[in-house]
Amino acid sequence: MKSADRPKGGSSLAIELGALKLRNPVIAASGTFGYGEEYASIIPLQSLGGIVTKGLSLEPRKGNPPPRLAETPAGMLNAIGLENVGLEKFIQEKWPFLRKASCPVIVNIFGNTIEEYAELARRLADVEGIAGLEVNISCPNLKAGGAIFASEPRTVQKVVDKIRRATSSFLMVKLSPNVADIGKIALAAEEGGADAVSLINTLIGMAIDIKKRIPLLGNITGGLSGPAIKPVGLRMVWQVVQTVHIPVVGMGGIVTAEDALEYLIAGATAVQVGSAHFINPLAGLKIIEGIQSYLEANDFPNVTSLVGSLKTKRDTGQPV
Amino acid sequence: MKTTAKEAKARILRHQRIGADSFRLRLRCPEIARLAQPGQFIMLRVSEQSDPFLRRPFSFSRVFPPGGKMKRTEEDGILEICYKVVGRGTSLMTKLQEGQQLHVLGPLGNGFWAAQGRKQAILIGGGIGIAPLIPWAEKLQRGRAQDRTFRNLNEPSAVVVLIGGESRDKILGVKEFKKLDLEPQISTEDGSLGVPGMATDLLERELMTRGHVSVALYACGPMPMLAKVAQIADQFDLPCQVLLEARMACGMGACLGCAVKVREEDSLKNSQHAPPDAAEERILCTSAFAGGETGASSESFVQDVSQPPAFRYARACKEGPVFESREIIWE
Repeated sequence: MKSADRPKGGSSLAIELGALKLRNPVIAASGTFGYGEEYASIIPLQSLGGIVTKGLSLEPRKGNPPPRLAETPAGMLNAIGLENVGLEKFIQEKWPFLRKASCPVIVNIFGNTIEEYAELARRLADVEGIAGLEVNISCPNLKAGGAIFASEPRTVQKVVDKIRRATSSFLMVKLSPNVADIGKIALAAEEGGADAVSLINTLIGMAIDIKKRIPLLGNITGGLSGPAIKPVGLRMVWQVVQTVHIPVVGMGGIVTAEDALEYLIAGATAVQVGSAHFINPLAGLKIIEGIQSYLEANDFPNVTSLVGSLKTKRDTGQPV
Repeated sequence: MKTTAKEAKARILRHQRIGADSFRLRLRCPEIARLAQPGQFIMLRVSEQSDPFLRRPFSFSRVFPPGGKMKRTEEDGILEICYKVVGRGTSLMTKLQEGQQLHVLGPLGNGFWAAQGRKQAILIGGGIGIAPLIPWAEKLQRGRAQDRTFRNLNEPSAVVVLIGGESRDKILGVKEFKKLDLEPQISTEDGSLGVPGMATDLLERELMTRGHVSVALYACGPMPMLAKVAQIADQFDLPCQVLLEARMACGMGACLGCAVKVREEDSLKNSQHAPPDAAEERILCTSAFAGGETGASSESFVQDVSQPPAFRYARACKEGPVFESREIIWE
């Protein structure tokens, strides 16, 4: 069917992440969208494919001392320090609003120990209406001397397996780019029982005030996000797509529909939009519209047919 | 004071240099001007590109709501902000042209509130920090005549303005305050205008010579100045609001980037100057203030200095940018 014949909005944007069905592939990324309510006056939340809430731990966390932000070329560093309200307050004060958001809500969780992850998953399994969990494994494992969970495939498999046993919810594991081989980590998550992986989390970086010779962040180092990291995110998504059999959710520097399309073509089933919300709170909506227009202009009946459609010389047997 | 922020486009009507390194942008944006209150701010997108990446927060230096009492067609639905060139974003801003459109998000945060029952307001601004005090002075001046909230400001010199800056060419806002029938006192560090010294010196002198019965302080400027103002407020036992600057990403309370170290609510409970977050609480404040007490001996501000206070991080964008000075842990 030619695009001219197709009614407006004809190409379907609906996607499936395992059992989780989303009306479109654009999800608000954890840590950039609060608990949804912060943006509800600006964006109709139901127009988004989903929302991932600010990383949640069992106990409330105060977070890092300021300054927590530093702007860098085409991006930003943040060192928020996983500040959050804690599970109890989340359920009491944040969930009632989110539940009514008419938009799938994925709760991002993190723990200091494997047991804490499992405990969070177990207790959130009792909360009605949660679409799924996103597991942040980019935090230190206190029982293993503070090594980052995400950096060791065996640990990743173990933590995901523990969570899998604690809940039947949709389970997505958010991968850190600060690892030797992200493909191995993704595979470990899949073997642990993840329904999907999302990547990339921020890249660890730093910035210095040369006048005062002090770090620009109170925490000295922080996570880099924004357009500056898009090529890295894209490469890692492409690499992970070759490795795992579960859906991949791509993120890192997506500001425009073109950015999102690159990720989809690389093989991401869906994308997350993060820091872009800071420069344009309506970024998610613009991206959804842009994907729709692209699909129609290029005669794709649905977004799924675009996913992983990257043409490389490898496919044609020509030298790369 | 809760308003709904709008994402809007604003046309630049005028862009002027107002000091050595300071500029004023006059924007037409009725959607936001309709709601804007003194002390609130907008997040302004400096460039259509992704670099510099983040928006910049700016407090209003004037607000002319659409259809307002001072309706003059050219001032209808208009906002002004002032900025000082401090980095890449503000350097780029100097190149903005009249007629250009900008993305703005606002109004954001909580503005100044009337310290109930106080008969005199002293506004202290340092450098570019004077800008958000202009619309607040305007509101106080107009409010004295019209609004019940401000009825206590009934003395002839109920609103006092103190302006400090490094030098003559960094003193801003004098003309604007004069238009409001206010005669600002000025200090410069190099003595090139007004009294040599700091705005906080003016404040101490004012409180010593004119007395401090029933005074409320409102301040904006560099952190060291605000910390000093807060200390003076403690010393004279005065309610004091400070408008803080912070690096921000979202401006909406979502990113938690603009953290400000504040006392835990529990340790603030006894403070009669704690900011109201509901109308009922404001009324409670009124009764507490009604006597216009002088007492520097008031027990409520005596803080246990033997151990650090319980703290939490507040979001400057959502819980501020105006804070009661005693909420802040000054470090």
